[in-house]
Amino acid sequence: MDKVIYTKPEAMEDRFTHYCPGCGHSTITRLIAEALDTLKIQEKAVCVSSIGCSVSSYYYFKCDGLEAAHGRAPAVATAIKRCRPELYPFTIQGDGDLAAIGTAETVHASARGENIVLFFVNNAIYGMTGGQMAPTTLVGMNSTSTPGGRKTDTAGYPIRVCEMLATLDGPAYITRVSLHNPANVRKAKKAIETAFRVQMAGLGLSLVEILSPCPISWKLEPTNALKFIEETMIKQYPLGDFKVIDGVKALIEGVNPCSPK
Amino acid sequence: MLAEIVISGSGGQGVLVIGRLIAEAGFLEGQEVVWSPSYSAEKRGGTVSCMVTISTEKVGSLMITRPTIGIAMNHAAAIKLEPALKKDGWLLVNQAENGYQPARKDIHFLTVSANQLALELGSESTANIVALGALLSIHPVVSLDGVIKAMAQLFGSKILEMNKQALIKGSKSVKTKDEKI
Amino acid sequence: MSKKVLMVGNVAIAEGAVLAGCQAYFGYPITPQNEILEHLSKRLPELGRVFLQTESELAAISMVIGAGATGVRAMTSTSSPGFSLQQEGISYMAGAQIPGVIVNVMRGGPGLGNIGGAQGDYFQAVKGGGHGDYRIINLAPASVQEMMDLTMLAFELADKYRNPTFILVDGFLGQAMEPVIIRDAVTKFPAKPWAITGAKGRPKNLLDSFEMNPVNYPSRVKKLLDKYEIIRRNEVRFEGLLLEDAEIVVVAYGSASRSAMSAVKLARTDGIKAGLLRPITLFPFPEKALRELSLRIQAFLVAELSGGQMIEDVRLAVGLDCEVDLVNRYAGVPLPAEEILESLRGIALKQRKN
Ligand SMILES: Cc1ncc(C[n+]2csc(CCOP(=O)(O)OP(=O)(O)O)c2C)c(N)n1
Ligand code: SF4
Repeated sequence: MDKVIYTKPEAMEDRFTHYCPGCGHSTITRLIAEALDTLKIQEKAVCVSSIGCSVSSYYYFKCDGLEAAHGRAPAVATAIKRCRPELYPFTIQGDGDLAAIGTAETVHASARGENIVLFFVNNAIYGMTGGQMAPTTLVGMNSTSTPGGRKTDTAGYPIRVCEMLATLDGPAYITRVSLHNPANVRKAKKAIETAFRVQMAGLGLSLVEILSPCPISWKLEPTNALKFIEETMIKQYPLGDFKVIDGVKALIEGVNPCSPK
Repeated sequence: MLAEIVISGSGGQGVLVIGRLIAEAGFLEGQEVVWSPSYSAEKRGGTVSCMVTISTEKVGSLMITRPTIGIAMNHAAAIKLEPALKKDGWLLVNQAENGYQPARKDIHFLTVSANQLALELGSESTANIVALGALLSIHPVVSLDGVIKAMAQLFGSKILEMNKQALIKGSKSVKTKDEKI
Repeated sequence: MSKKVLMVGNVAIAEGAVLAGCQAYFGYPITPQNEILEHLSKRLPELGRVFLQTESELAAISMVIGAGATGVRAMTSTSSPGFSLQQEGISYMAGAQIPGVIVNVMRGGPGLGNIGGAQGDYFQAVKGGGHGDYRIINLAPASVQEMMDLTMLAFELADKYRNPTFILVDGFLGQAMEPVIIRDAVTKFPAKPWAITGAKGRPKNLLDSFEMNPVNYPSRVKKLLDKYEIIRRNEVRFEGLLLEDAEIVVVAYGSASRSAMSAVKLARTDGIKAGLLRPITLFPFPEKALRELSLRIQAFLVAELSGGQMIEDVRLAVGLDCEVDLVNRYAGVPLPAEEILESLRGIALKQRKN
């Protein structure tokens, strides 16, 4: 008999995504859907989309969804959680959305320690609008609005979101992962799952930053885009946990209540 | 009946409280009332004013441009209030002897040494209530009883008694050079 | 028995929200509406409801979106500069058909302006303010009692039409104190099968304004436009004073209408046949009532606390054959009844000469 070893997650809709080939958004969509399956929370999850390539990410999950204006997803998710604590709202936000126009909403939701999950897709570029400079664009990196590469004298320096937010007392779990190879995708999956479990346990805000390829705006073949993350991006954005409060530590180290017995 | 009252003084003189008590008392006595903080652009110098309309009919305008009664808690306020008063209006000024003298002859003029009297009761902080008592003894737009009821609602028990005394003291103290009274 | 108390206008709005079953309030401090935020910071938690002081008006309106989307009654309040920031979220709410109440206690502008009362946000509130093809129901209270009553109505209309609803009021009324009859709390709420409550035992609910397929978008916007037509037909509210035999009609809303009320009564004692038409809804505008009046009245006087904004709607309603004059104050300064009376006298004199 044939054995099914790979299939579409239950919580994922049966439809094409609008993401470009080789885009990290697709992988992230799948990982989130897998986490919804593993934790059996699809009926309570709410996808709050942002403005950017993740604009209609709620199309792809079999859970309720809501649109937020550019940068405002953390505020929208905050209100959902406050008004219906039994729901599990999560946002999917690009770097422009989360770290430029929505910086205030991100910082303050974090400072308040809202019991929500933020998935931060760092592709170091404005994908949707055609490849302009993002707050996370590397120094020297090309974009359509930094001809000749980002120069610090006029465009300043990239923001390390995890490091910045980890200085706050509010958040429970802040981590940076990457999609550049299978081993790291598995780590990303674990982090995404942990973030939801933190919310389920009522421990507070999680932010999972995911270094994610944008082959189109980077003008690289998908495999070279992964190499770019590994060889260049990680130097600016080191992987690892930046904040793990004690409750979350216990959660990670303890027996996973959702794993098969 | 229509009384349009403007109360004016400097910050900390309890101007808003006078207005509030008149409004509450009028309300308790079944009148139509409106209380409004002053709209004047002059926020400088810490001038505080408020306006109270007491009427048997529904009140229109929230603002009072020509008051029928002015309560001035200091000279500067009196100078501003006097020209605005309606003919035959009333001006009460908080001052010691020989202070402010009105220029107009077509208004009623009263004075009260509110700070002095309040001090005799133990604290200058009740000078506003003394002034209110003084006004009501001559021009009962609301009753003293009504004001006492309003005070019971708005003030804590600690300061209620002293304020009651201040009201009574004020009501027995009016000095006037007005022959019309 | 219903209780009657003296109340500040802003507090009446806050209490109206509580009575209407507002479950969540989000706001950022700005004068002259702070009493709403402060009052609810105590009241809502007492009732086990949500109060949150936000990092900005942008966040506040976004939270109203999040809360309204879950099906609960939600509100924010602000004053002019904050209202500008909220236009973004309001446009999204209109597009995604998420109900909610937005209170604007207007102050002097443009820019930072001052904290005096004003009606200079009329265009912004009534005509749009945010981007795109949408309309907002605008309720304009003229007394502290109406601040309570219309706030309650705002929640009802927001739910009924799945549309944001504004309370548009000037700072003078926000700060004024008047007697208020406390209404009974609302106990019946409409079902909201569209709300975000978790996709359990039903297909998932999506609330958005975005349409990826350009072919589908016009029909989607058309549905909104049709809804606004129904609102125009069903929700016009206004009040008339001495209109029956009036020869000059003052048109005013908010605190300007209170001054106008005094002025009209004074004019009558002068032998001038003045009347007052007070729009209670600014959108939908009582254009039909004005049009009908214009068939027998030659002169209208618009009294407002702006450079002249509502007057454009009055002109549009009554047409070119009527004289429409303006008496106004702006920049956070109140409009005295005497000023309106002077204008009425001027118009009456002109009419007699003709
Ligand atoms: C208020 C506002 N400003 C600008 C835009 C245009 N816009 C759409 S997406 C975007 C940036 C997206 O970049 P990012 O957040 O990094 O997400 P990505 O597309 O890379 O996933 C911008 C500026 C908008 N929709 N709204
Ligand atoms: S532009 Fe970049 S981020 Fe957007 S879908 Fe394409 S590859 Fe992904």
